[in-house]
Amino acid sequence: MGKNKFKEIEGAEFGVDSRYTSKKKQLDDGKALMEARLQRMKNLSSDKIIKAKLLQLKLKMEEFIKEPIYQEENHFTKFLTSYIDAIYSKRIDFAKDIDIDANLLSKIVNNHRKPKEDFLLRLMIHSEKTYNNICHFHKKIWYQVYFQEKLSGLMANQDQWRPNVERHVKIKNLTSVDD
Amino acid sequence: MIVISSANGKEYKVEIEAVQANDYKSITKSRYFFDWKKEQSQEVYKIKIVGSSDILGLVSVERIPEEWRIHIRLITVSKENKGRDKEYENIAGNLITFISKIAVREYGELACVSLKPKGAIAQHYIDKFGMNITGMTLSVEIAEILELINTYDHDYGEK
Repeated sequence: MGKNKFKEIEGAEFGVDSRYTSKKKQLDDGKALMEARLQRMKNLSSDKIIKAKLLQLKLKMEEFIKEPIYQEENHFTKFLTSYIDAIYSKRIDFAKDIDIDANLLSKIVNNHRKPKEDFLLRLMIHSEKTYNNICHFHKKIWYQVYFQEKLSGLMANQDQWRPNVERHVKIKNLTSVDD
Repeated sequence: MIVISSANGKEYKVEIEAVQANDYKSITKSRYFFDWKKEQSQEVYKIKIVGSSDILGLVSVERIPEEWRIHIRLITVSKENKGRDKEYENIAGNLITFISKIAVREYGELACVSLKPKGAIAQHYIDKFGMNITGMTLSVEIAEILELINTYDHDYGEK
């Protein structure tokens, strides 16, 4: 789609007020729209569906990097699972494509083992190739998600690790700023 | 995302952010065509050139998650960007694309952005943004959204 494809009616973009006047109107419109959307969805190619899923994943990862939230769930593996499931019908095929053992992938996906550098690097290159036909995908994203999560977890759980760690830390000859 | 100067064709990077409470002092009806103060309880976004505080356009939306849809309540460009003598091109397109990206992030392949313009304006939105028409409602769904992103979002566009 080129930049100049579209014509413009004089002043047409100055403003649209499309607020619903009632909840009933919104529901009625929503119902009619949903029926039409479902018809259109039938013609949606699997290629476009995969593109949409990968774009959604990328946007979610970027949002997480921008505003990390620490929760019990592991975002890295959640994103990884979404990534694999968007493009493979069997996870073992992804394991083959990045030349790792299927059991290792299963352990990483199920949070039984942390990914090592080799895995992250292969994932980075795999994603670069996958997103090449879809949209820009910064090679840092997986690393950023992984370490952002680690950092958020450390900061959120200080009460668990700090007392034990502080016992091992002291500074000799600490000079006061008043001296 | 960029806007293009109508005067010299120069491109300017833009950013779109949530409107803050103190922004409403400068968002007047005479410059932005609607009483935006009434939208303060809604999700409202502003578009401006990076490094400038001047608001070029505004959009307010309502999320309807049960329908995987975001409905545009109000959308406008500033007075200087209306009509043939507008200062910058692409303001409304960028705002619609921005909302479409939120819809994709939230609803994936089911994403839908809707609005209800009237008369000739509706035809303009159909022609310019490839919108589908259902009764009086216009919408972009995933196929159109991917096109919009390709056209307007230079950070994300399809290669």
